Amino acid sequence: MSLPVLRKDSTAAEAPSPIDLGSGGRTRRRARAGSRAGQVLLYLALVVVSATILVPFAWMLASSVKLDAEVFTVPIQWIPETFHWENFVKIWTEIPMLTYLGNSLFLSVVITALQVLTGSFAAYGFAKARFPGRDALFVAYIATIAVPWQAYMVPQYIIMQQLGLVNTRLSLILLQAFGAFGVFLMRQFYLTIPDELSEAARLDGLSEYGIWARIVLPLSKPALASLALLTFVNTWNDYMGPFIYLTDNDLWTVQIGLRQFVSVYDSEFAMIMTGSVLSVLPILVVFLFGQRYFVRGVATSGIK
Amino acid sequence: MTQMSRPVTLKRRRLRTALVGWSFILPNFLGFAALTLVPVVFALLLAFTDWDSYNTPKWIGFENFGRMLGSDAFWNALSNTTWYAVGHIPLTLAASLGLAVLLNQKLRGIGVFRTAFFFPYVTSLVAVAVVWNMLFSPDVGPVNQLLRAVGIENPPGWTSSTTWAMPALVITSVWRDMGYYMVLYLAGLQAIPAELYEAARIDGAGAWKRFWHVTVPSLRPTTFFVLVMLTISSFKVFDLVQIMTEGGPGNSTQVLSQLIFREGITQGRFGYSSAISMALFAIVLIITLAQFRLQRRNER
Amino acid sequence: MIRPVRILITALALCLFAAGCGSGSSGTTADGKTVLKIALWNYAKTPEFKALIDAFEAKNPDIRLEPVDILADNYSDKVTTMLAGGDTTDILTMKNVTDYARYASRGQLLSIGADVNKLEKTKYSGLDAFDLNKDYFALPYRNDFWVLFYNKALVNPTGADLSNLTWSSFADLAKRLTTGSGASQVYGTYFHTWRSVVQAISSAQTGGDQLGGDYGFFKNQYTMALELQNAGAVMPFGTAKNQKVGYDSMLTTQKAATVPMGTWWAAALLQEKAQGKNNVDWGMAPMPQITANGKVVTFGSPTAFAVNKKSKNAEAAKKFVLWAGSPEGAAVVAKIGITPSYTDDAILDTFFSVAGMPNDALSRKAMHPDTVKLEMPVSDKSSDIDNILKEEHELVMSGQKSLDAGIQEMNSRVRSEVR
Repeated sequence: MSLPVLRKDSTAAEAPSPIDLGSGGRTRRRARAGSRAGQVLLYLALVVVSATILVPFAWMLASSVKLDAEVFTVPIQWIPETFHWENFVKIWTEIPMLTYLGNSLFLSVVITALQVLTGSFAAYGFAKARFPGRDALFVAYIATIAVPWQAYMVPQYIIMQQLGLVNTRLSLILLQAFGAFGVFLMRQFYLTIPDELSEAARLDGLSEYGIWARIVLPLSKPALASLALLTFVNTWNDYMGPFIYLTDNDLWTVQIGLRQFVSVYDSEFAMIMTGSVLSVLPILVVFLFGQRYFVRGVATSGIK
Repeated sequence: MTQMSRPVTLKRRRLRTALVGWSFILPNFLGFAALTLVPVVFALLLAFTDWDSYNTPKWIGFENFGRMLGSDAFWNALSNTTWYAVGHIPLTLAASLGLAVLLNQKLRGIGVFRTAFFFPYVTSLVAVAVVWNMLFSPDVGPVNQLLRAVGIENPPGWTSSTTWAMPALVITSVWRDMGYYMVLYLAGLQAIPAELYEAARIDGAGAWKRFWHVTVPSLRPTTFFVLVMLTISSFKVFDLVQIMTEGGPGNSTQVLSQLIFREGITQGRFGYSSAISMALFAIVLIITLAQFRLQRRNER
Repeated sequence: MIRPVRILITALALCLFAAGCGSGSSGTTADGKTVLKIALWNYAKTPEFKALIDAFEAKNPDIRLEPVDILADNYSDKVTTMLAGGDTTDILTMKNVTDYARYASRGQLLSIGADVNKLEKTKYSGLDAFDLNKDYFALPYRNDFWVLFYNKALVNPTGADLSNLTWSSFADLAKRLTTGSGASQVYGTYFHTWRSVVQAISSAQTGGDQLGGDYGFFKNQYTMALELQNAGAVMPFGTAKNQKVGYDSMLTTQKAATVPMGTWWAAALLQEKAQGKNNVDWGMAPMPQITANGKVVTFGSPTAFAVNKKSKNAEAAKKFVLWAGSPEGAAVVAKIGITPSYTDDAILDTFFSVAGMPNDALSRKAMHPDTVKLEMPVSDKSSDIDNILKEEHELVMSGQKSLDAGIQEMNSRVRSEVR
């Protein structure tokens, strides 16, 4: 079967338009008309909506400074009676939080880097090179995403055990760095890059690898950013993978560490929330940093 | 597609193109094949066996499938999962696209808002479950207070009711996932050439028209990706259901992944659990291939 | 663009190298000692493991025990996966009897029947659950059973006698103990959301078979529970379930005057009190009975150690398993407020001498039930049936189904779905 091919949006090679247009020009027109009221209204709407969206997060914050017994109460206590800030001090000594954070960071960074690198590389093969069997292979990639992990967890573990990699960080890196997600995402994005650009580069004598590195990759910054962000967050929040493969306590990640507060009979929920709040902070930093790439760069206009 | 500047024989050119293509795919493919593809194929083969995870699997042909088709638990989980997917896919798609378009502006502090909308996805699931269950609480929950205020006398019981637990789950999951797919749309929006908007404006198209005639068609590759990923993740939904309703009340929100986990890891019937996985896999694959077809037709 | 890519690749190669050197697995011997690996959960928060390991090592200086710490939440899932991969961890803790039966029937555990059959079996409560055709593959070291926990400050002023409660006198008491409303509401009792709260106790006391497919014997117990719920003497099931209410906070924040629960809770309550997390003056009473005939029947579930069949130090591992279940091991466990499987008067004295343990006559009586039935009988159908009963329990308790319809559904589902 042949897969969706690229749209031929011809792009004029003129100076890039400096104005951002995403949502259409509604706000832009207003801004041009000098209507500040529109902006204020927009901000107000954004603040109200995000505040509503963040309600569960607020509960998480409140619970992080409560006593265990105060976390699940009826009715919900939004503001703790007394603030137990010591939870944020205690957690560093109760569990080796620093080690866990370090492990999570290491895994997330390495896996994200590998996924972005190999994914964007392979995607070029799927999007811009034609060869027999390409589409069948691509379907095989997507098909594996469709199989629930619950089904192949044990076979996968047996292979890892045979390779002698169980209980090493390498096992998780190998498992998660070569997933199909990144390949699929990047392929879709490459399809939006006009072929004319690579044709021109080819005429200039650039090899396919050169085209990937010098033309396609720089154009894909927004997609690379979103792939990196989502991979980072998913790796950071993964629980079952590290749980099954990492046994030694000094290899554990934050997500496993937090579950230590869940015991057979009664759990320390305040500490779980304290840890959850701490574990979200790195994501916050990564996201604030990464989302800056969601701007139209030189993107589609005027490469040369 | 790969055009050579020097004339070479057709055969050699094809071979070279193929080799170059493969060289791109290979680094990823090696890791993928050894650690994902092989176990997946193995797991699918297990569907035809009786396996306890330890002793040698016993080939039993289609027995597992027969058993699955005769099982109420399977049909119940399948219908719940479908129900969830039918609600979750379009709503999340619309919400994430809307958010992305709204947040794709050069405004001071827009990054903070983008982060805020992504936060539901990283909020601890336990917090999500408790707060949403509270919001949905039949008697004192804000949702039902609102419904009563607008004149609905018998608002639904949401997560305490067998009929309304699934809609409640869908609402929660849309809230949670929209930020995730928003990120993908934000990336997609950056690839739309500014000139297209300029041209549309010159043609006198209003904001709404530009959205439908420029933004939506230009986002098609992204939408296709989002749609496929959404379909797959909806049919594989696990964590949220597990923590928010545990499949209850009764088994009214039990989904396929929960059944697969229970039959496999918990009960140790790995062959049977693989058969259910294979059914799930087949359903998702058929839908995805249909989406491919549709996409291809649109491209023409 | 080429340069950053190259740098990235080099950096990754270094990282992978670092990652590969994760950890070496421990061999059999180090400095001449036999090293035994023992799979357990929440090592830091489950004091009995450390107590047992320390005591055993002190007695056997040539053996060192190395805990393989697994999260309590998904303990069985991980052990199942590990064993599937051919793991050689020497000792495995059996969190419940159903998992035990599964591992044993797959041939993953080493038989210790020859040694167990020599023991004085009547003194080991919960041992019969491990009998698989007269053979044993694990020996229990603790056995928790259910008692009625109560808040002395709330219950004692009423002058109620908890030593010989029937379910109907318990229901009356619960209604009397219910006071206040809103945030100051105190419920007479709290039924946690587990099905055992209604079903296992009713099975233990009526003799009804939870695997039998005829669940009429649940009816009286459900009638009582639902009546208390309608009277507002117990927190509604739906609220408890959806808000994930913890039974611990119901007692320690004075929201419930009585809570039927397992004896494991005692150790946790003591620990919380020692850490200043609560100051509730609590006691234990025997579970209420169907008729006040002076006999106390309750239910419980044992926890055991087993030897992995793939263990390379099977003899040493067996030594530990047998020791942990022995009177010596029982004394170690009782000393930290946990109910061991092996019980005699000396062990009970040890248990009640734990600092902070309520040792009034009523609590002592509670700790000495006449019969402890197994929470759920063992069979290859157990977990399927368990699941159906749990689902229907939820529907009945949350009012989605009438009691009669619920019981009928249990009967028909267990008969048609479980094969």
